Amino acid sequence: MKHGRLRFLVGALVPALVLHVLFVLSPYAQAFYLSLTDWTGVAGEAHFVGAGNYARLGGDSLFLDAVRNNAIMLVVVPVVTIGLGLFLASMLHLGGRDGRRGIAGTRVYQIVYFFPQLLSLVIVAVLWQFIYNPNNGLLNGALRAAGLGSAARSWLAEPNLALPAVMAVLVWSSAGFYMVLFSAAIDSIPKELFEAALLDGASGWATFRKVTLPLVRDTVQVAFVYLGIAALDGFAVVQVMTVGPGGPDGATEVIGLSLYRNAFTYGKFGYASAMGVALFFATLTLAVLALRAGRKERVELA
Amino acid sequence: MVQVMNPSPSLPNYPSRRSVLKGAAGVAIAAPLLSACVTSGSNDDKPAASTGDKSADNPLGVKDDAPLEVVIFKGGYGDDYAKHAEDLYKGKHTKATIDHKGIQKVGEALQPRFVANTPPDVVDNTGAGRLDLATLVSAKQLSDLTELLDAPSFDDPGTKVRDTLLPGVVDDGTFDKQVLTLNFTYTVWGLWYSKPLFASKGWAYPKTWDEMLALCATIKAAGIAPWTYQGKYPEYMNDPLLTMAAKIGGEALLKSVDNLEPNAWKADGLKAAAEAFAELAAKGYIMSGSEALSHTESQAAWCQGKAAFIPCGSWLESEQKGVAPNGFDMVMGPVPSRTGSDKMGGAAVQAASSESYIVPSKAKNVAGGMEYLRILFSKQSAKSFAQSAGTLPAVAGATDGLTLSSGLGSTRDAITAAGKEAFSFKFRTWYAPLAKAVDDATGELVNKRATAAEWADRVQKAADALAKDSGVKKYTR
Amino acid sequence: MTLASLERTAPVSAPPRPARPRARVGEVLPHIAMLCWGVVTALPLLWAVMSSFKTDNDILNDPWSVPSRPHFENWSRAWNQADIGRYFLNSLIVVGGALLLTMLLGALVAYALARYEFRGNRLIYYTFVAAMFFPVFLALVPLFFVVQQLHLLGTYQGLILVYAAYAVPFTVFFLHAFFRTLPNEVAEAAFMDGCSHAGVFFRVMLPMARPGLVAVGIFNFLGLWNQYLLPLVLNPDPDRYVLAQGLASLSVSQGYRSDWSGLFAGLTIAMLPVLIAYVAFQRHIRAGMTAGAVK
Repeated sequence: MKHGRLRFLVGALVPALVLHVLFVLSPYAQAFYLSLTDWTGVAGEAHFVGAGNYARLGGDSLFLDAVRNNAIMLVVVPVVTIGLGLFLASMLHLGGRDGRRGIAGTRVYQIVYFFPQLLSLVIVAVLWQFIYNPNNGLLNGALRAAGLGSAARSWLAEPNLALPAVMAVLVWSSAGFYMVLFSAAIDSIPKELFEAALLDGASGWATFRKVTLPLVRDTVQVAFVYLGIAALDGFAVVQVMTVGPGGPDGATEVIGLSLYRNAFTYGKFGYASAMGVALFFATLTLAVLALRAGRKERVELA
Repeated sequence: MVQVMNPSPSLPNYPSRRSVLKGAAGVAIAAPLLSACVTSGSNDDKPAASTGDKSADNPLGVKDDAPLEVVIFKGGYGDDYAKHAEDLYKGKHTKATIDHKGIQKVGEALQPRFVANTPPDVVDNTGAGRLDLATLVSAKQLSDLTELLDAPSFDDPGTKVRDTLLPGVVDDGTFDKQVLTLNFTYTVWGLWYSKPLFASKGWAYPKTWDEMLALCATIKAAGIAPWTYQGKYPEYMNDPLLTMAAKIGGEALLKSVDNLEPNAWKADGLKAAAEAFAELAAKGYIMSGSEALSHTESQAAWCQGKAAFIPCGSWLESEQKGVAPNGFDMVMGPVPSRTGSDKMGGAAVQAASSESYIVPSKAKNVAGGMEYLRILFSKQSAKSFAQSAGTLPAVAGATDGLTLSSGLGSTRDAITAAGKEAFSFKFRTWYAPLAKAVDDATGELVNKRATAAEWADRVQKAADALAKDSGVKKYTR
Repeated sequence: MTLASLERTAPVSAPPRPARPRARVGEVLPHIAMLCWGVVTALPLLWAVMSSFKTDNDILNDPWSVPSRPHFENWSRAWNQADIGRYFLNSLIVVGGALLLTMLLGALVAYALARYEFRGNRLIYYTFVAAMFFPVFLALVPLFFVVQQLHLLGTYQGLILVYAAYAVPFTVFFLHAFFRTLPNEVAEAAFMDGCSHAGVFFRVMLPMARPGLVAVGIFNFLGLWNQYLLPLVLNPDPDRYVLAQGLASLSVSQGYRSDWSGLFAGLTIAMLPVLIAYVAFQRHIRAGMTAGAVK
């Protein structure tokens, strides 16, 4: 039996580990090394340049644009998405009699709201590119039909609108998912808590605030991490949808796009890897901060 | 730019440089060969070449019974035109057997052959999966085609092959003073309009920029937007802008820009051209919304008669097949002259070649490979290509006597009229980051967010940064 | 995350509803809010579907118009000429292969780590789980060269292996907790009966873990079906484009000529299978979400 145990463990773990080391861990490790070289993809022509690539990042105005845009997205996208998701989830439950049960049509809403999350961001981006078309797009068409023709814009071509337009797409694609997630979390709150609140004469809103919100805090925290990671990306939407892409004039540049362009269009693999490492530390910091914050809150609650 | 060649097999005739996607595909294949070739060494020992005796009739010394292996990228143009040239080859070298391969993934198929030093004799190195030229060059895998260029042409023994080619073709294939590739198709850039529309309104195609502005006022008064452009990709607007600048400043301007000389972008020619396009925008002559439209959207709007002019390369006609209404009859005109004292004439055009043919230096039948190119680039072969592909070949006069569609005919006429004044900028291929900087700046310029002076400043700054960057390999023309 | 939470929440999507005496005023606002976002969500999708039945001219001239007649030819054109059919098939092959591989490897690893104590257990677990939080962008460049050196660039096998490698961490993370909650007794009984370790896993534990497998399987399917970055870099051959890639290149380059109606048809073709799969499996998905979120 002992022998069989070892054989089973080896058989179970080794194939996945090989795959993991080969395609996941080794590329990450190599990226750190590459970021210290000036490699252009030509074998044997990588020269060690130390921190040179990192120093150069600071003077790359397009990369700095990307950092700024990702930072904005990092704040705005999770906050708006989660806010909207919570709002909708609360609406769903507020309407119900006991602050927990949904309003009529809950099931249909939950199915429809979920749809955008199911679609590849590429598909979403292709779709929204048409919606944003200034002359025959859905959005301006709707505005004009509603008599708001003066509000019609070149959404993706005006520097101060392009990034919000991109963020709107990201929010659109995931708000419904988080609404369903939050309402599932609300569903799993013990019924007794709601009944107690109801007995105390709490209104629906008070119930939501006092009972629901504290108890879905963990879920919200997880949502923040996932949305944050998504906001640090944004590549697919920007690459397919925006002027340039990444424009106008860097207005929607994101780190992923800069990295991709430098690596696969300019052949600056070393420099692109430095961008990747920078992104790695940004993501790591984000995850640690979010988890720390969560822990602190939990301590305070206790 | 154009040297990027057909970016993917599904795109027949776009020597375009518009998509990150496609760019990626190109570089993606670049890498495999790098390691292979560089390590395989580059000793110059001649392969066991099978050459025959040279004669007036056989200027390249092809051994009559040496087999020939031809590998053709079978993309939007198909490979019938290449087979046609093979038939001509067999007609001349009757004992030769020809092994023809029409494939899509040139790099994938040929990389191992190059590593094993058994490459085919002639290759159409095109498409998304092509071999990386720079690598082949640095690994000395390509034959110098000078002998071919100096050989008498197939149709006319009195003319060298070199002199049958359109302007720029030899330059486009030159790497460090050696001609190593020969491009078979030719692209011209200019301004497009519907001939019947202009005729019915009594508008004459403008020869000077002043005439252009005057005409734009008329067009606008008629309720049509004078211009639109492929706003999502501002590089389309660069083409007329830089063409105009080159016409003003001539060869010297081209050189100073491509050689990254200090203050090249602040030359009068560039400033004047940038001012011209700033004025076009300031006067509201560009269709509103253009700035956010993709190439297809803007081109469709233009085909619907919503705008009169659109800048584009010679592939536009086939791209708009099915979108342009019957009787739209698009034609291309040269970018108008800015001043009366431009260094180049009004007919000068920006043009470049693509679809590059190579003869591997380690091929068994190098002479045969060159002979094949001599035949492929003959007038009769090029003519059959023009007929079947609807694209201009890089051979002068290849379309003489053919009935061409309005667009193709107009590009042919533009090349003929330009004569020797067909030019191109190289910085786009040499320094992609500079190209991006120019694109972004031009987008700002024609959207009235940057003045001509600011435009020149930012591009100059990008060019200076590039010139200072020791990590970037520099080229000169 | 527990099995209990899965079972508890699964039926909630159809809550038992007591007779409702009368609509309250307080319900109007929620209804309006829900309806608004419902429209914002559904309208673009319906618009895409509707546009797929229109002619190019209708689309260009009047975005709101209803198709004069349903132009089904757009669909066949998209499927055949624009190669959506081929992309679809490619996606099916790659995602199907990767999904099988991911589930098998992921379940094995999760089970081995969850049910066996040995030195290095935690290390292996964290090695997998940490990878969930690494940005794929960082690995992109070296990954390209790794795949290329294995001569797997632009092949189905290459994509399948890489997809699986990047989906296994989440699968391990998800199923690890799941296997921990499974009762010991059944496994022990099976061992008594002389089942081998593999036998216990495949015949006893795997069937017991079905709800978890289904949930994580659906998540993996969605994730893999929508992959864009990995194929963009690792799959440069247009003949092997997956759906997302093919659609992106259609919209950016649109091939030979402009074809909006065809593109909308392609979009619809790409959207439908996931939407249908979702409606069919939505109970499992919601159950899985609760399981994953509430932990």
